[in-house]
Amino acid sequence: MSARMQLTDVSIRRGDRVLLSQLSCELHAGEITVVLGPNGAGKSSLLLAIARLIEASGSITLAGRPLANFSRHELTGQISWQGELPPTEFGLTVQQRLELAGTDAKDEIESVATGMDINHLLSRPLGQLSSGERQRTELAALMLRDTPLWLLDEPTAHLDLKHQIQCIEMLKSQRDKGRTIITVLHDLQQAMAIADHLILIDGRGGAEHGEAAGLFDPARMTALFSASLRQQGALLVPDYGEKT
Amino acid sequence: MLRWGALLLALAACLLLGLAVGQQWMNPLDATGQDAVILWQLRLPRVLVAFAVGGLLALAGAWFQVLLGNPLAEPYVLGVAGSASAGAVTGLMILPESAWAMSLGAFAGAWIGIIAVMLFSRLGASRMLLAGVVLAAFWSAILALLLALLPEQGLFRAFAWMMGDLSHSDVPVPVLLLAWAIALSCGLMLSRSLDKLLLGERHAEALGVNVKQLRTRLLWLASAVTALSVTAAGTIGFVGLVVPHLMRLIFGSLHKAVLPASAIGGGLLLLLADTTARTIIAPAELPVGVLTAIIGVPVFLLLLLRRG
Repeated sequence: MSARMQLTDVSIRRGDRVLLSQLSCELHAGEITVVLGPNGAGKSSLLLAIARLIEASGSITLAGRPLANFSRHELTGQISWQGELPPTEFGLTVQQRLELAGTDAKDEIESVATGMDINHLLSRPLGQLSSGERQRTELAALMLRDTPLWLLDEPTAHLDLKHQIQCIEMLKSQRDKGRTIITVLHDLQQAMAIADHLILIDGRGGAEHGEAAGLFDPARMTALFSASLRQQGALLVPDYGEKT
Repeated sequence: MLRWGALLLALAACLLLGLAVGQQWMNPLDATGQDAVILWQLRLPRVLVAFAVGGLLALAGAWFQVLLGNPLAEPYVLGVAGSASAGAVTGLMILPESAWAMSLGAFAGAWIGIIAVMLFSRLGASRMLLAGVVLAAFWSAILALLLALLPEQGLFRAFAWMMGDLSHSDVPVPVLLLAWAIALSCGLMLSRSLDKLLLGERHAEALGVNVKQLRTRLLWLASAVTALSVTAAGTIGFVGLVVPHLMRLIFGSLHKAVLPASAIGGGLLLLLADTTARTIIAPAELPVGVLTAIIGVPVFLLLLLRRG
């Protein structure tokens, strides 16, 4: 399992607006890269471009080979994407959703479902689940996709505290197994807990990237989010002011 | 297995019932003389047309629902019924004495409607649906205009056709049965991709589906099936909308089950409706489209309530 990814001058537009302009960076196997930035900055679009689900200019290579040269089938074997929650109108059950991730093996599905605390929900339609349960189903579907590169768009969204911790632990353990992970997060504490590498997107086309340790500073984060942050020990936390 | 057995048993019972009842009862397994003529030349073709058209409409409905990502979609949602009806009435105006005029007009009208929708297919599901609904309104206006201009003696034929008419299909029965089999086979070949499309276009694409190609194939397939059904039997509503949902409630959402169940269940519903339509006030007949809703709505609502 090895996925060295190189982005060279990657630019993404949405209509007339430039979301990302000429981002270049290299991501190594067994690293977690966290993408941070304000709403609408283009974080999800970056993941979609890497998964080749939207158009982007510039060059993206995976293990030295341009993504554009991969067939859709080949790409499916290399990249897994966890994004928006799927629609629920047509009554798919949790079990069926997991089978669509690529395996019919009941043991494997049950094992992953148990890990995500959704084993008791397998026969339930997705429409009868809470958003958090649906998110855990999507994470379980991702775990069934044994690809070298994982792209996750806000994996801890909708999750309660216990499952947020579980999700972060799962990402760390997958990194330790050599998987390359690129994830969008909004929670700085979670980002600081797992990021080896950061990509900061400012929403005006600009982006910074580098080692996480070098980029987590209050001034940079305050400027990125246009929000007040303060240092609390080793952590950067939002400054909500005093309790009134 | 029990559910499939029940569906097939219900189909067999409805087939036998459709053959047995009419202006006079007969035992279809022991028909001789005049009964045999009625059985082979009148009832059997009609029963088979009802089965095939019902199945085709239900298949087209299932495809349109997935293609447009909208559970309210049905075979006529993109205006094909309206354009086919306008075509049929045009045929009736041009060749009022011809037995084939309405069918030919309907077939041509259906394809004009399909081609109009195809122009918008690259816009994505929701915009295509919007374009289809607007086109449907346009075709309805054209149809109303044509009906206003149609001589009085043609009005009854036009209305009977528009409410669904299985009494004389200009499409040969073997062609309809072959189309049923081909449509189901094509659907089954696409079933895994259709399942992935239930997760949304991006998830499907990320799971290896060539969504653009699949959407094009589905649109052509569903449109061709709709055009054939309309040509054979006029516009029969409800079957294409509700049968796929009914089958999802009974057999689950995966298309390897939904498609064959819809192909059989749609046939079964239309067969039952047609048998009722032609016998309940015999020798007169009720429009079959009315009966499909009267039979199907309570069944569907009951199942919906039971499944919560």
